[in-house]
Parts: sequence; structure tokens; C-alpha cells
Amino acid sequence: MNVFEQLQEIMATALELPTGAIKENSTMEEIEEWDSLGHVHIMVALEQAFDLYMDVDDFAELDSVPAILRYLESESVG
Amino acid sequence: MKISDDQLEKLMATQSAQDVKSLLALRKLVPSLSQASKLRQHLDTFSGKQLKLKLGVVHTYTSELLDPWLHFSATLNQLDLDIYHAPYGMTVQESAPTSGLVRHSPDVTLLLLTKEDLHPAFQTPATCIKSADKQSVHDNAQRAMNGLVRRLRDSVAGHIIVTLLPNPASPGLGLYDCMAENSEAQWWSRIKTTIASNLREQFSGVSYLDLDQLVMQVGRDNFFDPRLWYSSVFPFSLDGALAVSNAVTTVAAGIYLPKAKVIVLDADNTLWGGVIGEDGISGIALGQDYPGRVYVDFQKRILSLQQRGFILALCSKNNPDDVDDVLENHPHQLLKNEHFAARRVNWLSKSDNLKSIAQELNLGLESFIFVDDSDYECSAIRHSLQEVEVVQVPSRPAEIPTCLDALARLEIVSLTKEDQEKTTMYAQERLRKSQLEELTETGGSINDYLKSLNMKMTVGLNDMSLVTRLAQLTQKTNQFNLTTRRYSEKDIAEKIGSDGSFVYHFSLADSFGDSGIVGLAIVERVSDSKVRLDTFLMSCRIIGRLAEQAFLATIILNLKSIGAEELQAEYIPTRKNVLVETFLPDNEFYQNVDGHYIKNLKTDKHILDSDFPIIIEGPFSK
Repeated sequence: MNVFEQLQEIMATALELPTGAIKENSTMEEIEEWDSLGHVHIMVALEQAFDLYMDVDDFAELDSVPAILRYLESESVG
Repeated sequence: MKISDDQLEKLMATQSAQDVKSLLALRKLVPSLSQASKLRQHLDTFSGKQLKLKLGVVHTYTSELLDPWLHFSATLNQLDLDIYHAPYGMTVQESAPTSGLVRHSPDVTLLLLTKEDLHPAFQTPATCIKSADKQSVHDNAQRAMNGLVRRLRDSVAGHIIVTLLPNPASPGLGLYDCMAENSEAQWWSRIKTTIASNLREQFSGVSYLDLDQLVMQVGRDNFFDPRLWYSSVFPFSLDGALAVSNAVTTVAAGIYLPKAKVIVLDADNTLWGGVIGEDGISGIALGQDYPGRVYVDFQKRILSLQQRGFILALCSKNNPDDVDDVLENHPHQLLKNEHFAARRVNWLSKSDNLKSIAQELNLGLESFIFVDDSDYECSAIRHSLQEVEVVQVPSRPAEIPTCLDALARLEIVSLTKEDQEKTTMYAQERLRKSQLEELTETGGSINDYLKSLNMKMTVGLNDMSLVTRLAQLTQKTNQFNLTTRRYSEKDIAEKIGSDGSFVYHFSLADSFGDSGIVGLAIVERVSDSKVRLDTFLMSCRIIGRLAEQAFLATIILNLKSIGAEELQAEYIPTRKNVLVETFLPDNEFYQNVDGHYIKNLKTDKHILDSDFPIIIEGPFSK
């Protein structure tokens, strides 16, 4: 599984959506279930899956799949 | 600890929720969100009979983030939750008849409160509260809590679980706190225990769930997540969220799942290390060294479980003399003969032994928990007696003392005098049985036996102080029970308080001891002259002593004295109450065309002719 596919699975579980609902260019605005609570679920699940300890100030900026993928790359995940 | 891929595979191969639970507990594993969701899917495939429960959450901090963990631990406890979250910060408002909470009609209402909700003084550091003000802060906090719980208690049925968020920071005075005159820890502990005992004394169906205990279990640094607290007002880390969810669903399971009553223990490699038949009394591991001290600690925990009200039984494949020798003579053996309500030390199959223990104790096998180290015995019981909950003693000795900790059915939500004295009562029963055997051997009759017991019955009416025990009787009694209606403490309290209901109870004393409260009858007024027997039950411990006739006759006399002319009754058959199938016709109730029973009290010649005195206690009228 590449990083995007892993992310897809994590986000789908966190938001209780089918994996297909998470696309490479999805944003928080487009996905109704991705609200502020869903966002915290995603952040916590990312930490667990990739063994990260994230800064809460980064949470707000990670509001799209591309932004999260960039962040994961910068943390040398994948 | 995180769950590795290997461990996940092992968990996904399990065959019961109990196995998943004990693996998680033993290895202190915390699943990630996606692991939890995979495990839930796996558990859903075979735990067919999950009990659906409605949970209402009233909260003054973010609670929605608990949901995945609440669902996960509910699945582990064979529950299926439908969760409603009140609007953030709404507490008293949720007691309004039109509130979302009331409309959700929760089986369990969870209050997630902070101490700041109870008194503004908690917003300043505890060390800054002047000692002169402390008493008034303490008293006002109690009043605030009582007021809130009172409003909610009056508006929702079901159980209420009250929590207060522990302090995420170490005490203001740091390591010195414990020695300080104005110790924060001591001050908080005093407030908390008064709140908890107030809730116990003033309400029924309300539990205080002490989150401080969870903080101790998990550790403060791991329990809280300051990032989520400051950014989203959600206090808990993953470990914390899971611990809270486990505790909440455990309390819910303790209330709504069938109660466990009996713990059946193996001897070799369970109560001590090694095999007594081979190693001998001086060779088994039990004492001050490793691994002997493990078993001493396990026995201590079993004794505490007995104090919670569980009955202990011993079931071991051994020569009886070998086991007796350890029970009587081993210097470190804590569990003695008198701690076991029943014993089977023989070479028969354990499933036959469990069946005969169930018969002897008059209890159903679904109330049994079977504890054994052997793969063979555990799977044999799982296979042949599916209603018995099986716990396999871990093969790593250090894990043994806590191996029963994760069992939700061993948690209790109330504790009565009867619970703590249960084994004594069963021991008295063993003595009665041997007296009966002696008498019949010498040609005496059952009546001679009953006379020889010197029984004395005490009947009482509408006693509010017995609410816990009376509700417990409706929850636990299956065999001698005409209608098997289950009532919560709140239901019973309401009936006692209402003009239209009569709640009778009785206890029985004899030369061997006092039974405690063992019988309950609830009579509802239908009209001025008609009453209905809603509930009539008796603990299985005293079946066969003719107490039921005396109890019914006493009730009928009382009902006549208040002008009742017709007593209606019904028998609702269940799988377990065949025993009382003919109780109503036997006592001259006549069956209507619709299947209901009626007794005309005007013409009834039912008289009280018992061989033992009946004492009527307290005011016997409303």
C-alpha cells in the first residue's frame, strides 16, 4: 500500500465512509463528514498509524488530502 | 501498548469477545482507530446476541470523540450502543420533558462533569481557597451535584452514571502536597467521597464512577492529552478515552446483562502452582517466593470477589484428601473450606460437576464463571456448557493475579448486607441439609425437620431502606418467580412511594442463622376493592421450607384489612420458573377464561396456620 492508500483507509475509518469517498484531491470543505470532530479523529488516527506526535498548530492547516500528503512527506513517512 | 500486526492477526482469530478482552487486558494493548474498527467487525460476525442499549451523554466538555471507543468497548461487553450527546454544556436543561435526552429515553445516562461546574471556587487553584471558606465550598458543591442529579433522576428512567473530570495537573504544592495542611489531594478526595456517598444514600439507580481510579490505572501522563484539551476541549488521550469507555460500558453491562453469581475455581495451577497429587504439600508453589507469591495474591483477589457478593465453588480433579490437606494445613493457603459454598474434588468430568453444583446451589449455569488453567477443561466447558463464562488462567504466572480484572460481570454497582454474607448463608444451608439427612435417616419426616429448625418469619411493608436489595431480588430471581418482572431501584422506590402499590418483603431466621431479605411481593391497586399481584418471588435459597404459603397468607390478611375484595394474579411462564406453574391453583386462585387468576377475598377461607411464628414489622399500612 502506498501512502495515499493508507491515508484513504485511515480517513475512511475515521469518518465512517467507504474508501472510495476519499480522493487524492479531497478537501475538508467538500466532505460533509469531515467536520471539526472528524478532523480530530483523522489527526489522532494519523499519529497512531504513522507513529507521529503532531503539533496541534498543524492540525488546522491539514485540511485537504494534498496538504496531509505533503505533511507526511515532510515527516519522511512512506 | 500498540498492537503489532502479529498480535492483530491473533486477535482476529479469536472466537469470543471474552478472548479479545482478556488478550487486550493482559498485554495492556490499546488498538488504533482502524484496528478497533476491524476488531468490531470481527466480533460482530459471531457475537449474535448483543443487547441494544440507549446511552445519553450529558457533558460540559467535548464527548463526541469518545464514540468510537464507547462502541468498541460496548462490543467487547456484548452491548450495542445507540448514543445521544446533549448539546455542549447543557446539563439541567436536559431534564426538561422536551429535551433531546428525555426523548432519547436512555437506558444509561452518562454525566461528564468538571468540578468547576459545581462551584466557581474550583476555577482558582485549590491552595488559594482559604481554609475558612472550604466548608462552604464543600457544602455548596454537594448541593449543586444533588440538585442536578435530582432533576435528571426525576426526568429519565434507566441508570445514571456520574463522573467528575480528575485534575490533569499534579497538585499545586507538588511532591509536598501530601504533607501540607491544605493538601489538594486530600481536599479533593474528601469532596469526591462525600458526593459519592450522598448519591448512594439519596438516589437509586445512580452510580458515581470514580475516574481517579482510571487515572491511577493508566497513569496521569498517559491519561490526558493536553493538545486535544486546549484545542478541542477533549481531555483524554487514546488510552484515557479507552479506559473511560471501558468503565462506562462495564457499569452498563453490570446492570443490564445477566448477573454472574458463582465463581468455580480449579485447584492445581490456579490456586497454587504445580500439581498437589504429584508435588505434595511441600512441593506446590504457594508462599513468599516466586512463583508462589503470585498464587497468594490471586487468592487475596478471590476473597475480595467474595466480599463483592460472589459465591465460590471448588472443582478439581484430585484425590479429596490431598486438596483437604492444603486447605487445612498449608500455612499460605488463604481460601479455606468455609469459603466454598460447594466442592467437587473427584475424577468426574468438569461439566458433570458444574451441573451438579448448579443443582446443589439452586442456581442456573448462566450465572457461572469457570476459572481453570487447562486448555482441555476450558474448551470442554465452552463446548458442552455454552452458557458458562470461561476464563483460562494465564500461563505466565505474573499475569495470574489480575486475570479476572477485565470481567465486566464481576463489577458490581451496589453492595447489600446479603451480598457480603452470601457464602455464610450457603454454609448454613449445608448444615441444614445434613440435619435433614440425619433426621430422614432416623425415620423423621420433612415436617419434623422444619420444626427442628425453629423458624421465625418477619414480614414488612414499603421499607424504603431496602430498595437496593428488593430491586436486586427482581433482577436475580428466576425460579420461584411468578411473573419475572425486572425492576430497577428507581422503579421500586417509586412503587414504595406511591399510594397505589404495596411492596411486601420477608426474611426468615432459624437456629442456623438469618436469611436476610429473601422474598418480595408487589401488589398494585386496581380499584377500591380490587388489587393485582404484580410480583411474587422468593430466593431459591429457601425453597422447600413452606415460607411461601405463610408469606401469601400474611399478605392476604393485610389486603383484607384495607378493604380489598378481589386479588388478581398471573403466571408468566419462562424457561426457568416451572417450579411455580401450579402455585396459584394450589393456593386456591381460580383461572378465568382469559388465563388470569382470581381469588375472591370476601369468601376466601385462607387462614394463617403456619408451624412457625410470623412477626409483622413496622407500620403495616399506608
